[in-house]
Amino acid sequence: MNGILNWILWLPIIGMVGVILTPKAKENTIRMVTLVTTFITMVLSVLLYVKFDTTTADMQFVTKIPWISQFHINYFIGIDGITMLMTFLNALLFFICTLSSWTVEKNVKAYFALLLMLQSTVFGVFFSLDFFLFYVYWEVMLLPMFFLIGIWGGENREYAAVKFFLYTFFGSIFMLVGIVALYFVSGQGADSFNILALQGGKFVNETVVIFGKSFSFETIFFWFMFLGFAIKVPVFPFHTWLPHAHVQAPTAVSVILAGVLLKMGSYGFLRIAFPIFPQAASDASTIIAVLGLISVIYGAFCAMAQDDMKKLIAYSSVSHMGFVMLGLAAMTTQGMNGAVLQMFNHGTSTAMMFLMVGVLYERSHHRWIVRPDGSKGYGGLATKLPKYTTIYIIGLFASLGLPGLSGFISEALIFLGIYEKFTTITVIAVVGLLLGAAYLLWMFKRMFFGEVNPDIEKYEDMNAREVFYMIPLCICVIVFGIFPSPLLNVMKASVGQLVDLLSKY
Amino acid sequence: MIDQLFGFLSYYIPELITVILMTTLLVAEASVKDEHAPRTKIHVFTQIILGIVFVCLCQNLGETPVQIFHNAVTIDPFSTLMKMIMVVGTMGAVFLSHSSKDIYTNLKSEYSIMAVGVLVGGMLLASANNMLTFYLGLEILSILSYVMTSLKREDSTSTEAGMKYALYGGFSAAIALFGISHLYGVFGSIQFNDIAAQVSSLEGSRLAITLVASILFFVGIGYKISAFPFHMWAPDVYQGAPIPVTTFFAIVPKMAGLASLVRVSYVFLSEGSPLKVSWVGLILVIAALTMTVGNVTAIGQNSVKRMLAFSSIGHVGLMILGVVVMNQTGVQAILFYGIVYMLMTLIAFFITSHLSDMYGSDSYDVFRGLVYKHPVMAIIMASVLFSLAGIPPFSGFVAKFNIFAVVIEQKHYGIAIVAAINSVIGLYYYMRLAKNLIFGEASSDEKVVGFSTLNQTVIIALFIPVLLLGVFWESALALAGNATIFIK
Repeated sequence: MNGILNWILWLPIIGMVGVILTPKAKENTIRMVTLVTTFITMVLSVLLYVKFDTTTADMQFVTKIPWISQFHINYFIGIDGITMLMTFLNALLFFICTLSSWTVEKNVKAYFALLLMLQSTVFGVFFSLDFFLFYVYWEVMLLPMFFLIGIWGGENREYAAVKFFLYTFFGSIFMLVGIVALYFVSGQGADSFNILALQGGKFVNETVVIFGKSFSFETIFFWFMFLGFAIKVPVFPFHTWLPHAHVQAPTAVSVILAGVLLKMGSYGFLRIAFPIFPQAASDASTIIAVLGLISVIYGAFCAMAQDDMKKLIAYSSVSHMGFVMLGLAAMTTQGMNGAVLQMFNHGTSTAMMFLMVGVLYERSHHRWIVRPDGSKGYGGLATKLPKYTTIYIIGLFASLGLPGLSGFISEALIFLGIYEKFTTITVIAVVGLLLGAAYLLWMFKRMFFGEVNPDIEKYEDMNAREVFYMIPLCICVIVFGIFPSPLLNVMKASVGQLVDLLSKY
Repeated sequence: MIDQLFGFLSYYIPELITVILMTTLLVAEASVKDEHAPRTKIHVFTQIILGIVFVCLCQNLGETPVQIFHNAVTIDPFSTLMKMIMVVGTMGAVFLSHSSKDIYTNLKSEYSIMAVGVLVGGMLLASANNMLTFYLGLEILSILSYVMTSLKREDSTSTEAGMKYALYGGFSAAIALFGISHLYGVFGSIQFNDIAAQVSSLEGSRLAITLVASILFFVGIGYKISAFPFHMWAPDVYQGAPIPVTTFFAIVPKMAGLASLVRVSYVFLSEGSPLKVSWVGLILVIAALTMTVGNVTAIGQNSVKRMLAFSSIGHVGLMILGVVVMNQTGVQAILFYGIVYMLMTLIAFFITSHLSDMYGSDSYDVFRGLVYKHPVMAIIMASVLFSLAGIPPFSGFVAKFNIFAVVIEQKHYGIAIVAAINSVIGLYYYMRLAKNLIFGEASSDEKVVGFSTLNQTVIIALFIPVLLLGVFWESALALAGNATIFIK
C-alpha cells in the first residue's frame, strides 16, 4: 500500500527516461508517452484519495529508507490531509498541461522531458518529510523551471528565467542555513532532519549569537524560513519576480507556476515554519497578516492597471495568494481550513484563466487587452467564440469569488477565521474582493463585449482537445463550489492538529 | 640505518616515481628531433606514469600514518588523499595541454615537465612535517609556477604575468621565511611535532612573538591559495597564462596550499592552544573576504577563463572555512570539497579551452547556443556550472552543504550568512554563462570540432562522479572522513 506514493513520485521520472529514449523525430510518440505517464499518475492520485484515511492527522503511506547515515538523512516520504489535496492538484494540472502543450513545436523532446521532471520534483517537495530531502527537491525544481521559461518563453525570457531562479535561490539558501542550524540544535540525533520530529516548539528557549549579538533562535530562523517561503508564495514585497516569470513562461508552465509552485510557499508555512517555530510564528502573525493584506490590495490595483491579459492574471495571483496568507495568519480552524482550500481552489481557477489566455494567444499571437497605441486588442469575442466565452465565464467567476463557485467558499472561510483576530484588516481585505471583481469584469467587458474587432473574424472556436482539458477544471470549480466537503474532510484532521499546536502559543 | 632508509623509501614511492618521471621527461624532450612534432608519445607516457603514481597513492591510503626522514615528512591518509587530488588534477591539465592551441607545440613537453615538477613540490608541501620541508615544497611549487606562467614566450601579457608572479611570490616567500625564523627562535625547533607539543604552554612575550610570526608564516600559504589580501597577483596571472596553465593553477597549487594550511593550523591550534581564538578569528575574516572578493570580481568578467579563475578564489574562501573547526569533520568537508572542486574545475576549463581554440576567444558570446551545436557538452557544462553554484542534485551542493554544516556546528552563524550571500552571487555569474549556453540562438549550425571522441569521453568520465556524488555521497564522505591528520 505504501508503494503507491513512491509510484506517484517516480513514475514521472520513468516517463522522462522514456521520453529521452524516444527518437527526436517521433514527436507524437513523445507526446503520447507524456500523456500516458501523467494520466496514470492522476489515476494513482485518485486511488490515493480513495485509500486515504481521513480520520487521522498522522502521516500516511510512509516510506523511510536511510540515505546518508553520517548525517541521519533519510529518504522519508509520506502525506497527510494537506498534501493529499496538493498531490491531486499537481497530478491533475500536469495531465491538463500535457494536453494543452500538444501544440508546442520547438524541441518537443526536451520540453516534455523537463515537464515530467518538474512534476516529479513538485511531488517530491510535497511528500518529503526529511528536511534535507525537502531542500533537495525544492532546489532541483528550479532547474526544469529555469529551462522551461528560458527556452520556450516569450521575448524577454532570459531575464525572467534568471530573475525567477535568483530570487528563489536567495530565499532558499537562507533556508539551508536554517535547516543545518536545526540539525545541530536538535542534537544531531536520528531525528534531526525529520520534519515531524522537529515540530512542536522544541526550540523556544534556544538562543543564537550572530556577529556578537544574542538573538532568540526561533525568531531568527523563523524569519530565515519566512524569507524562503514568502518569496515563493509570493508575498509583497517579494513578488516582483512573479509577473516577469508568468508573462514570459509558456502557457503550461504558467499554469504549473500559479497552480502548484506558488502553493509550495504556503505549504512551507503550514508544514515547516509554523509548526517548528510556533512561538515566533504566533508573534509574527500580525506582520504576516499585514503583508497578506498588502498583497491582496496592491496585487489587485496592479492587476487593474495592466493592459496585458497574462500580466493581469499574474497580479491577480498575488492578490489571491494574499488571502491564503491572511488565512494562515489567523491561526484558527476556519482560517487555516480556508487557506488550504484557497490553495486548492486558486490552483484550479487560476489554471483555467491561464489556459484560456493560452488558447486565445494561439489564435491571436498577442495578449493585449488594450494595445499600447490605445486600440482594443480584442472585442466582441462573445459573439464569435461561444464555447470559449462560456468556459471563460466559469473561470472568471470562480476567480472573483462568486457564490456557488469554488473561490467563494475558501474566501468566506478565511474571512470568518480572521475576523475576530484582525477586524480592521478583514474589513480592508473585503475591499480586495471588490477590486478583484472590478478588474476581472472590466477585462471581460473590454475583451468580450462591444464592437467585433475585425482581427477576430478568422479565429476558430475551441477545438475538442481544448474543450476536453478544460472540463475537469470546470467540474472542480463548480462541484467544489457547491459541495466542498470532500476537500474539507480530507484536511480536517491535519489542519486541526496544526491549529491545536499553534493555539498553545 | 640503511635498512631504515629503505623502509622509509617504501612509503615514498609515489614521490620518487614523480621525480624520476620529471627527469625522464627532460631527457625525452631533448631527444625529440622535429621541433614541431606533436608530443603524443611523451604525453601518453606521462599519463601512464601518473596513473601508476595514483595507484601507489591508493596503496598508501590504507597504511598507518608514519613520519619518515627524521620526521621531515609525514605520510598520513590526509596528505595521501590530497596528493591523489593533485595527481588527478595534473593528469587532467596535461591531457588538456596536449590538444590546446594555447601551448606552442614545441613547448608541450616542457609544460608536462613543469607540471610534474609543481606536482612534486605540491606533494612535498602536503606532507611537510617541519618548516624546512614546508619551505622547500613551497619554493619548488612556486619557482616552476613562475616559468609556467610565461610559457607563451612571445606574448607580452604572459611574460608580464610571470614577472609579477615571481615578484609577489618571492616577496611573500621571504615574509614566510622571516616568520619561520622567529618561530625557530621561540620553539628552538623547526619540527611541527615539537611546536605542537609546546604551543599550549606559551605565555608572555613568547606568545606575542609566536602570534606575529605565525601570521607572517601564513602569508606564504595565503599567497599560494590566493587568499585575500594576497590575491593581487591572481588577475594578471590568470589572464596572462595559457588556459591549461590556468587550469593547473586553479587546482594543484591551491590544493597543496590548502593541505599545508590545514596541517599548520593543526600544529598551532592543538588542544588548549592560546593562539586559537585569534587564529580562528583571523581565518574567518580572511575566508569571508576571500570568497566575497573572488565572487564579486567574477561578476564583471567577460572572459570565461577569468570568470572561472576568480570563482576558484571564491571556492577557496569557502574551503578555508573548513579549517576553523580543527576536527575531522572539518577535514572531511575540505577533502570532499577538494575532490568535487577538482572534477568540476577540470570539466569547466576543458570545455572552455576547446571552444576558445575553435573560436579564438573565450568570451561569453562564444558559448551562445552551444546546446544546438553540441548538446551533450552544453548540458554537461551547464550542469557543472550549476554544480559550482551549489544547486542539487549535483555534488557541488553536497560539498557546500558539508562546509555549511561545519561552520554552523561551531555556531559561526554570521559567517554562514556571508557564505549564503556569496552563493547567490556565485549563482548569478554562473547563470549568466549557463543561459548563454542554453537559451542563446546559435550563430551557425556547424558542429564544434574541438570535441574529439577522446575529449568527449574524458569529459563524460569526469562528469559521472560529479553527478553520482551529488546523490550517493556516503562512501566518498566516509573516505574523506577516514583521511585523518597525523601530527605527533
